[in-house]
Amino acid sequence: MILLDTRELDHPVPLEMAVNAFKKLSGDEIVHMIHRREPIPLFEIIVKNGGRYLSVMEREDLWHIYLTRSSAVKLEHDHV
Amino acid sequence: MYNGLSLDQAPPISAVMRFFLTVPVFGILLSLTVFLNPQSVLTPAHPLSLAVIHMMVLGVITMAMLGALFQMQSVLGGRPIPAASGNALIIHAFLTIGILSLSGAFAFGGAAMFIVAAVFLGSSILYTANLILPLLFGGVTHDTLRGMRLALISLSVTAIFGIVMASSYANSSFSTMHDAIRTSHYSLGLIGWIGTLIIAVAFQVIEMFYVTTPYSPWCKRNAFRMIAASLFLKVVWLFFALPFVWIFDLVIGALLVGFVVTTAKRLQLRKRRVSDVSIWFWGAGIILLLISLMAYGAFEVSSYEPLVSISLIAFALFALAIILGMMGKIVPFLVWFHLSSAGIMDAPIMSNIIPHTRAKTLFSLFLLTSFSLLGGVFVLELFVVGAIAAAGMFALLFFNLINALKVYRFSLTHGLRFEQI
Repeated sequence: MILLDTRELDHPVPLEMAVNAFKKLSGDEIVHMIHRREPIPLFEIIVKNGGRYLSVMEREDLWHIYLTRSSAVKLEHDHV
Repeated sequence: MYNGLSLDQAPPISAVMRFFLTVPVFGILLSLTVFLNPQSVLTPAHPLSLAVIHMMVLGVITMAMLGALFQMQSVLGGRPIPAASGNALIIHAFLTIGILSLSGAFAFGGAAMFIVAAVFLGSSILYTANLILPLLFGGVTHDTLRGMRLALISLSVTAIFGIVMASSYANSSFSTMHDAIRTSHYSLGLIGWIGTLIIAVAFQVIEMFYVTTPYSPWCKRNAFRMIAASLFLKVVWLFFALPFVWIFDLVIGALLVGFVVTTAKRLQLRKRRVSDVSIWFWGAGIILLLISLMAYGAFEVSSYEPLVSISLIAFALFALAIILGMMGKIVPFLVWFHLSSAGIMDAPIMSNIIPHTRAKTLFSLFLLTSFSLLGGVFVLELFVVGAIAAAGMFALLFFNLINALKVYRFSLTHGLRFEQI
């Protein structure tokens, strides 16, 4: 699990960090991004590049995003 | 949790960039007009003054804002614009022809050109509203979307008043309602369209881009209601020639001062104090808005004519500051996003697409333009300096946009694909 806490970072740094982490994933690895908003454009990039994502809102200003390149790994949120 | 959004909703980069690339072209054209005719441009209601005003509010400001709307609608609205490429092509072409015709009609006269302008501008704006407005209703709703609705409705009504006025100019026949129509036209255009869309964008991007505390929910919920009510009542008051119409200007002015203060406070107290030229543009923009409001207020009290020019120039520069600041963020994002979506995984980082030095130079030229044009209201030579600085600023903007597109095309052709990693 690669953890990215981007809550305090200015746009567009969180998006760049998430995509960089995503492209380094191998096997069943997952990126867990914690962000203050739902990064909608990120999902399009992930899906168009064969990845999958899970987006979970804990609060309006606290989102958990999970990214993976694996089709086998089950994406689930166990932090709420 | 799947959020139900379409994952193929961003418009093609060309749909947005065709609007953005046209902005500096009109900017240079209007700078040239100011450079060659400074005295005429500064004379209220002079045909060249009207030509320059419309090149600015339509060719620069509206052109940029419609391009941004194509992008914003897909991200914020959750429902993509259908056939974005084709629709952007049609709207852009009609808008461009309409602006050139209208500016030409003011500058050179000719009834036919006013009719051509009315047809092309009216159809492009009403077509845009008809295309985007239905997408803003019925789906997700938030304050920025409410602002976008009000902005597009105001733009449509502005266009309808504009068509009526163009027909009056074409026939050289002005009804007894002409003054009411003209005042409604510019009130809705400047406040209802430009001001409202900028406030709506600020509600979204200030806290998102710069990690600030959010605007108060009460402000976000009620600002657009109050603007809508004030503008509606102002138009009614104007058409029925009722007294105390200035009350609505006072309400809108107070709202805008509130916007300036709350935005300045958020930018001042942002959590991470990273140097970012777009923040400088926001800062300059809200100061210029304040100057515009103060000049307008002072004119209402004193009737000193140059204050109207100051107010209008400062308002246009306020909108331009926000546009330049936001373009500096949006264009690198679009290049990076479309490259990353296309599987180019060594896409250049966004801060390298428009280098910081060039962004700072653009800001310096903007400041020089602003000081010179505002000072030029009192010293004509400064107005000419302002025109030269503006031409340089728009030329650099064009260079930045072209270079960003070159980076995009080069990376798309030569970049390392995701599957190659």
